[in-house]
Amino acid sequence: MRVALYVTCLVDLMRPSVGFAALRLLEAAGAEVFVPEGQTCCGQPAWNAGNRALAVDLAKKAIRELEGYDYVVIPSGSCADQIRNVYPQLLADDADWAPRATALAARARELTEFLAEVMPLAQMPAEFAGSVTYHDSCKGLRGLGIKQQPRDLLLQVRGLSLQEMPDCEECCGFGGAFSVKYGEVSTQIVDRKCASIATVGADAVVGGDLGCLMNIEGRLRRRGDETTRVLHIAEVLAGGEGA
Amino acid sequence: MRAAEHSQAMHFQARAGEKVRNPVLQRALQKAKPLFVGKRAKGMAALAEDGLAFEPLRSACEDIRNRVLADLDVWLAIFEERAKASGAEVLWARDGDEICDLVIDVARQHGVTKAAKSKSMLSEEAHLNEALAAAGIRPVETDLGEYIVQLAGETPSHIIAPAVHKTIDEVEALFAEEHGRPPEPRTSADIPAMTREARQVLRQHFLTAEMGITGANFLIAETGTASLVTNEGNGRMVTTLPKVHVVITGIEKIVPTLEDFATLMRLLPRSATGQTISNYVSLLTGTKQPGEHDGPEKTVFILVDNGRAALLGSAYQDMLRCIRCGACMNHCPVYFSLGGHAYGWVYPGPMGSVLTPLYTGIENALDLPHASTGCNQCGSVCPVRIPLPKLMHRLREEQVERGLRPWSESFGLKAWAWLAGKPKLYRWFARRASRYLNWLADDSGRIRVFGLAPGWTAGRDLAAPQGKTFHELYAARKRA
Repeated sequence: MRVALYVTCLVDLMRPSVGFAALRLLEAAGAEVFVPEGQTCCGQPAWNAGNRALAVDLAKKAIRELEGYDYVVIPSGSCADQIRNVYPQLLADDADWAPRATALAARARELTEFLAEVMPLAQMPAEFAGSVTYHDSCKGLRGLGIKQQPRDLLLQVRGLSLQEMPDCEECCGFGGAFSVKYGEVSTQIVDRKCASIATVGADAVVGGDLGCLMNIEGRLRRRGDETTRVLHIAEVLAGGEGA
Repeated sequence: MRAAEHSQAMHFQARAGEKVRNPVLQRALQKAKPLFVGKRAKGMAALAEDGLAFEPLRSACEDIRNRVLADLDVWLAIFEERAKASGAEVLWARDGDEICDLVIDVARQHGVTKAAKSKSMLSEEAHLNEALAAAGIRPVETDLGEYIVQLAGETPSHIIAPAVHKTIDEVEALFAEEHGRPPEPRTSADIPAMTREARQVLRQHFLTAEMGITGANFLIAETGTASLVTNEGNGRMVTTLPKVHVVITGIEKIVPTLEDFATLMRLLPRSATGQTISNYVSLLTGTKQPGEHDGPEKTVFILVDNGRAALLGSAYQDMLRCIRCGACMNHCPVYFSLGGHAYGWVYPGPMGSVLTPLYTGIENALDLPHASTGCNQCGSVCPVRIPLPKLMHRLREEQVERGLRPWSESFGLKAWAWLAGKPKLYRWFARRASRYLNWLADDSGRIRVFGLAPGWTAGRDLAAPQGKTFHELYAARKRA
């Protein structure tokens, strides 16, 4: 099966280990993995800002690069939501592009969705000695219905115990540009998330969106929590380090 | 847009900062949030006992509201005819000023010196209390939360819990002063006693007011009836004791039949407070008839546009389905970080972030559609399935189309999109950015102050990039 990995711009710049972890997982699942060369950003920041024209340009660019594979896998609920739910409505009135957007949307999967539903791994490669708590990111949860998949996958990791935090479905306050434009409000929201995390006292917080994780990690550290690890689910499932 | 004169929505940023830094407010909000969320969840879970479920029910509610909006003029005409047939008068108001003029006219015709009010958000849109006072008529709010807010000289901060921002100590100070007694130390155990005290004071007002003013949760077209959904019983007093009853409500509040009303009532109290049904549900039709013991001698409906009709057939028509339950704000992370006053006009939270720009002018509330993380916790609980994030997003687009965004934002986005369209250049830039961010970081790999995004590092650290970019490493791996 030919699978395109869309690494996302945040993973590319900030945390490439997530991209390589996703790559290893897809290969372990038996996929023939491609990293389409020209990929940059899905256009979500432009879309969120209300700039339709720029969002359309970047959507077309992504469609050109990502179509033609059996599946496109994205280690981010919000970028996957952009491709799956936003692209088709963004290009709905364009007779040439609407079918291409819909076709890509039908093949786009968030990483845990893909690993749980399309190509399950015979055995999870990783071990994890410790407890984790899972933060449900908004776009993955409410946009794509991702809830059980990451939990099922985490429970296949040897040594890992899963402890649910209260209000795990509550927004962490990231919201892309929101966290910069309305930094104080965002901080207030992520403080509540940090308090929820503290009540379970897990060794690590795990999530499927790097934006949310950077927000949570940044606030935990600023509050003086130096020990709770903040990990992308791909890193936990794949184990090991870096490239 | 007359409403814009009263709106403080342009000061959202500054107000948000004040609210975040107000520990008394934060305590009040942190206490209220789990109650709202928990009670709603319980109320919805209890639907199963009646063999019902949330999703199909909210489809039914959505359909009822859409059916009304598709032929609103027809339903309004039916309502008007039936209401008149039952002895009520029906008046129409284009905006807040017309509401005030009409109410004052009716009051003068009947020699009214005091008006007892039950909760009405539309009267907040109209600033009716100020207008009444200026005309020499004393308005007395009789909903406990509204009473507290009126004593404090404030406006409601929540559409169903107007005083949710107040702590017990603040309420005690207000009561002591208004009721002419020394303040006492209070705990939550004293709430029933404090409520009793307010009741005693309010009872005198119910008995002496010549006019009662209420909103209506729904107007039922087939019977010309106003429905009131309340918990304190004050609505009953206000609508039965004074000789004149004025109902002020938006034109979109119509439902076709009593049957439809019953369906909507499955979800309204559950969405608002988690109750399977509220303590009082009143259906008020017409005036006191010969042989009847109570009810007003005169009933006046004031049906208000104030921006609503303009939404019909627009990209925002879905917003008119709103039944004012408050669930969207009760589940909003932004609302519960700030309370309602930061939003600057009558309606707070997600529904307010849509309504305020639409009713007071998009250019007068630029922050509100952006003051959302896009989490869609609001949309997922809305009992009439209003796609609130989608409507906020459409407002963002309209700001861009009308050139209302800051120059720096538009330029920044364009530059970034241009770069993202040129992969080779983008890769080069990403490599430089990674090096730069690492150079900014301290020994522990963290950036404590980042001049390009000060809003981020004001509250949290920024972990520096791991080093080389993914595409840099991947290209090297492929070459190897």
